[in-house]
Amino acid sequence: MRRVVITGMGSISALGFDAPTCWQAMREGRVGIGPIANIPTELLNVKIAAEVRGYDPAAHFDPKRLVLLDRVSQFALIAAREAIAQAGLEFRASGIGERTACIIGTGIGGENTHDETAKRFYGDKKTNVHPLTIVRLMANAPACHVTMEFGLTGPSFAVVSACASANHAMAQAFDMVRSGRVDYAVTGGSEACITVTCVKAWEAVRVTADDTCRPFCKQRRGMVLGEGAGIFVLEDYDHARARGATILAEFAGAGMSADAADIVLPSMDGAAKALSGALADARMNADEVDYINAHGTGTPANDPTETAAIRKVFGAHADALAVSSTKSMHGHALGAAGAIELVAAIGALRDGVIPPTANFIDPDPACDLDYVPNTARETPVRAALSNSFAFGGLNAVLALRRAE
Amino acid sequence: MDNTQDAIFAIIAKEAHIPVEKISLESTLKDLEIDSLDVVQIIFELEDRFGITLPDRDPTVDTDSVRGLVAAVERLVAEKSASAPSTS
Repeated sequence: MRRVVITGMGSISALGFDAPTCWQAMREGRVGIGPIANIPTELLNVKIAAEVRGYDPAAHFDPKRLVLLDRVSQFALIAAREAIAQAGLEFRASGIGERTACIIGTGIGGENTHDETAKRFYGDKKTNVHPLTIVRLMANAPACHVTMEFGLTGPSFAVVSACASANHAMAQAFDMVRSGRVDYAVTGGSEACITVTCVKAWEAVRVTADDTCRPFCKQRRGMVLGEGAGIFVLEDYDHARARGATILAEFAGAGMSADAADIVLPSMDGAAKALSGALADARMNADEVDYINAHGTGTPANDPTETAAIRKVFGAHADALAVSSTKSMHGHALGAAGAIELVAAIGALRDGVIPPTANFIDPDPACDLDYVPNTARETPVRAALSNSFAFGGLNAVLALRRAE
Repeated sequence: MDNTQDAIFAIIAKEAHIPVEKISLESTLKDLEIDSLDVVQIIFELEDRFGITLPDRDPTVDTDSVRGLVAAVERLVAEKSASAPSTS
């Protein structure tokens, strides 16, 4: 089987409009969570989120194009442009687009379009609906727009698994490149879920924090919604070497599982199965791993369960691992979470810097790993895992190795 | 007030799929084997039925016991009617 490498990376989130800015913010422990500014808040009890701030769609898209694009597709395109530019691939001009997959995850899809349409129809009592509503809100729209802009004519679809969508999408793309079904893949996740109705819906589950996101710490009060995208270019190692591409990291394996238990409560066994599956798929020894980018939502249920799963899989090596949740900085971007978090894992591998778990106050006895509280740590990272555990018990863990 | 209590018991019974006879003021939701997802649904139905908002993580609102839920709903309903403009 082929080896798969990552040669392009793009991101937009509360931490910045590109991947280097995002990674720099993570290194500095800068928190992108703040008062909600992009939507009306008078009906909200939870008034904080990790929004993409100061974003002007017109700076990225002409008006004729923009009318087709929900915010979720805009984010995917912006991140894809950055990733593909960095990879230095001309998919359309060189004819390699037909050997390229485009698989992009989203938890919700065109949520802003849904919200605006419902308001117009039920709130404003208008009797007609915008004719582009369907093409804006469909969950596959981000993938479609990326294929159209770059001429990617290989297999393309969306992957939907709530908070694990991005990791499941990237695992699919990885499998396709590894097996030789395609030579290249453009993959990741996008989400733009901060609307009045979506924030209200999260409030109603009663798992969102009203102060900030403090994963693994005793004072944690829940998750904080985020938004954005992360998109990556995957290709097989030999191709990348032959064309002299810069290899950001090796995509070594993926582990996936379903808890088959509860629609909201996580299962330790399900998470452990995905973690051990990723190690096995990557032919990676547990003691090779130096860093885990945790799912780390900051909810009462996730953090101790994830801790126990890591302990179960890593045994004594768990105490030598650095585990951090960058959701403390960029919030929980649902279907984009794993993609934004892959920026952290790649940064850790390349620079030998572990991004911290920000907003950490006191340890929780039920969460007893090294969470790199508040300050980044310089240490070589040979291999890293990135965890995503979704509502519904759908788990996906990615395994990466440092580029040789 | 008994009507309020009856309505609350009925909502708990319906959302948790348990016979209403099992519910008493002395029960905790844990005793009744009501899981966290049922709890948030019960809260939603109570808010809807009584036109109130049950605050999240308010130390004066006990959502772990039936007595706590009844007390919270009764208090919030009383506060609402005290602050409502007179219609006469």
